[in-house]
Amino acid sequence: MEDIKAYIESGILELYVLGDVSPGEKLQVEEMASRHPAIKAELDEIEHSMELFAEANAVEPPAQLRDRVLNSLLTNFGDDNNFPSKHPQPVKDNVIALPAPKANSFYKYAFAACLALLIASVVVLFSVYNKLQDANTQLVALNSTNQKFSSTVNFMDRQLSIYRDTSFKVIKLKGTANHANALMLVAFSPAKKKVVIDMADLKMPANDKEHQYQLWALVSGKPVSLGVFDKDAADSSLMKEMKSVPVAQAFAVTLEPRGGSINPTMNQMMVIGTL
Amino acid sequence: MSNKSKISLSEEELVLALRRHEKIAVEALYDMYSSSLYGVISRIIIDTAVAEDVLQETFVKIWHSFASYSTEKGRLFTWMVNIARNLAIDKLRSKDFKNQNKNQELEINVTFIDEQRNTVYKPELLGIKDLVQTLKADQKEILELVYFKGYTHVEAADELGIPLGTIKTRLRMAIQQLRKHFN
Repeated sequence: MEDIKAYIESGILELYVLGDVSPGEKLQVEEMASRHPAIKAELDEIEHSMELFAEANAVEPPAQLRDRVLNSLLTNFGDDNNFPSKHPQPVKDNVIALPAPKANSFYKYAFAACLALLIASVVVLFSVYNKLQDANTQLVALNSTNQKFSSTVNFMDRQLSIYRDTSFKVIKLKGTANHANALMLVAFSPAKKKVVIDMADLKMPANDKEHQYQLWALVSGKPVSLGVFDKDAADSSLMKEMKSVPVAQAFAVTLEPRGGSINPTMNQMMVIGTL
Repeated sequence: MSNKSKISLSEEELVLALRRHEKIAVEALYDMYSSSLYGVISRIIIDTAVAEDVLQETFVKIWHSFASYSTEKGRLFTWMVNIARNLAIDKLRSKDFKNQNKNQELEINVTFIDEQRNTVYKPELLGIKDLVQTLKADQKEILELVYFKGYTHVEAADELGIPLGTIKTRLRMAIQQLRKHFN
């Protein structure tokens, strides 16, 4: 504290304010002032009173000097080369500050556009996918109906060929006494040894699950099994080819247990027809 | 003194505006400090035309080297008045000015100029009478030499033929008197 008081009283601060110190002393005073608030306050007091002293001794310069001085300062405003080096900060800041928000908003809009595009394309993709699924199921349906048609046509062809074939004989099997209404058509070709029954025009009651109809051929007075068949509403086949036989005098159908029997059950005879 | 269109800002506002290189800052700077600075310059340089040139140079230098001023180092005026005083002393010691002065010296007595200058400035410095009464003659003398004539305290000691320590003490006492006066 004594040191500070002595320092203040040495008169160095007054000389500092009057600009009458060496560069070394100047630095020393500034360092002391920054370290000791008392010195800083004393300096401030001296500066203030010298400023007031100068004000009291002020001399108004000629009025026209104001314009001269201001012009010499302000004309240098634009073209002074010293400005950028001495005050680079504010100029730099201005230049940098402008493009920044531009770039920001550009990316913001670009991002929003991308997002909107993404959502739109997802929606479009979804609807296209749905349409494709529809088209696919339609295609499958068309394919199956097409197959059905072609098989039907195929079958019709075969059926027609049988009726056209002169070697085939169509035999009408009529109902027995018990089943007067029953009726069945059998096409028989001795040359080709083929027996085909017409399922479409088959007029017989539907068999249950335990029983099946069995076709018999009477060959030299003996019954020969030509296989079993069902009268079923679900059965879509129109013609059914049975086991082959070279000769036959008559055809008959009996109702037998499922799988057929070795010998026909005569009292269960449905239809019979001779050649 | 006409104060009608003068611009005045606080020292803080002025420093900020000067840093930002605003036009209003230049005008405020001139309006607020030109007379105080001219008071110092015109006491060092008697020739009005030259003093006016120095005032202009002072403002140009303040404007251009403002980046080197920091508020931590002290008041704005202290920094500016030192620039003004240094420019004035440089001018006074320059070759041209010395030659000019020599020519004048042949015809005009220096004391006559001093007297004339005092009469010229007196009407504008109404407060100075009180100041003169406040300060003792020896205090006033040393303050005038150092503050207004640009003498260093070493030169002043030589001029007045008194020891350096005494010069410093008187200078300090003079400023103490001023502080009391202004408070």
